Amino acid sequence: MTEQSNNEPATGKKQIPVQEGLFYQPKSPDEKPYLIGARCAVCGYVSFPKLMVCPRCIKQGTMEEAHIGGKGKVDMFSTCYAALPGFKAPSIQGFINLEEGGRIWSLITGVDPSDEDAIKTGMDVELVIEKLREDTDGNEIMSYKFRPVKA
Amino acid sequence: MRDVVIIGVGMTRFGKFLERSLQDLGREAVWNALEDAGVPPEDIQIAYVANSLAYQLTEVKGTVGQHVLANAGFFRIPVINVENACSSGSTALRGACLEVASGNYDVALALGVEKLFCDDTAKSALAMASGTPYAKFGFMFPALYSMELKKWMEKYSVTQLHFAKVAAKNSRNGSLNPNAQFRKALSVEEILNSRVIAYPLTLYMCSTMGDGAAAAIVCTRDRARRYTSKPLVHVAACELVSGTVNLPNQPHVNLEANAAGLAYQKAGIGPEDINVAEVHDGMAPAEMWIYEKLGLCKEGEAARMVDEGMTEITGPIPVNPSGGLAAKGHPVGATGLAQVAEIVWQLRGEAGERQVKNPRIGLTENAGGWVIDDNAACAVTILKR
Repeated sequence: MTEQSNNEPATGKKQIPVQEGLFYQPKSPDEKPYLIGARCAVCGYVSFPKLMVCPRCIKQGTMEEAHIGGKGKVDMFSTCYAALPGFKAPSIQGFINLEEGGRIWSLITGVDPSDEDAIKTGMDVELVIEKLREDTDGNEIMSYKFRPVKA
Repeated sequence: MRDVVIIGVGMTRFGKFLERSLQDLGREAVWNALEDAGVPPEDIQIAYVANSLAYQLTEVKGTVGQHVLANAGFFRIPVINVENACSSGSTALRGACLEVASGNYDVALALGVEKLFCDDTAKSALAMASGTPYAKFGFMFPALYSMELKKWMEKYSVTQLHFAKVAAKNSRNGSLNPNAQFRKALSVEEILNSRVIAYPLTLYMCSTMGDGAAAAIVCTRDRARRYTSKPLVHVAACELVSGTVNLPNQPHVNLEANAAGLAYQKAGIGPEDINVAEVHDGMAPAEMWIYEKLGLCKEGEAARMVDEGMTEITGPIPVNPSGGLAAKGHPVGATGLAQVAEIVWQLRGEAGERQVKNPRIGLTENAGGWVIDDNAACAVTILKR
């Protein structure tokens, strides 16, 4: 299992979000993480990351910031044995259908990545903010991922 | 609009050329095309130059076209720099064709040039992944293809063996192409037994990085006869589309099908009229999808196309006789124009050992980048002898 605490960086090392304004990382165990997306006030279209104009309504000013993505279901996924420099292989990556609507790309965590049977299409998953990789100074670059919901 | 013909094409071999510069590769492709066309350099009136990643991987951080063409002896003429990820090359051809069709100019150059290898392979790999903003999250293109392929395999009883057969066909074609990066013909077994990248994809099914350049010279039909006695290749269509976003309860408009539909309409032909095609097989198995998207076969029939060898050089509808992206190589910005060069050689009967039997109409399909739910761009070009 690759589960880990969100709030205890190694001594002297910082946790840095991979991109500002993309997700909320809980500061205490009482809080839950969320993704910072957008929802159209007119038609309900959900985007993540934020789009400024709704692709369905195509009008300005209808998209509002929305805190989304706590839960979803796996739409499709793949185990990838190649990785870009700095990233670990294998990884499980896939598309998640969010509870609020919208389909987003994500890494899938919380299982042994080399176990190709650990994830199933349609599986319930939940958002977690985890270490993505370490930078050259040993800081933890944090990102959003989804993991199977424990039964 | 005036009829536009391709009167000359040229390319470098694709490969790993650490000792060669972006400018040097571009110069070779341009002068090969000039020689092929019989056009003196001073007759080139405008140039569209495609490149995707030089600003990340070379010392040329902007105005790539002017830098490359200055080194090839071209000054003063208008140069339009084009970037559309893997479909940059076709986008440049489209620009050059429209300049001639509109009557703005009579002779135009389209060049695609790319230099991906550098001393730091990690830097090259990161640059290649930058066609999507998701690379920093660990996004891998092979994984994306793999997910889609797994769904498709279930739906239509397609197997990994089909994918290996397509990769073997393209590898065999590449072995016959002196411009190909990889010239060793790989067997189905070697492809299946190579390292798994993301099931069903193995290493030898995937394209890798490369350096190279390709160019085409276009002009009006009247003007062409001044320069060449070779068969003229008419650009019957060169259509470009961008991707879409998936909206709930609305059918997905497929990018390749969309571009192909526009191109068939413009050319006044249908998919049944295509005699040879070069398609964008970033991962060899994706070639099979593209058969269906282009209408070369009906939905669900791609596996039969492969089993019956329909797309072999000797088959009724040869696809990727050049070897495709995996065997010929994929220097991003040059790929689209190398596809065009291959079709021109095929239509003129100049393709040597990989010559398709007497083709009259050829097609190229060139897609690239990724935005939200879809490829960023896709171009389909139809060429007629």
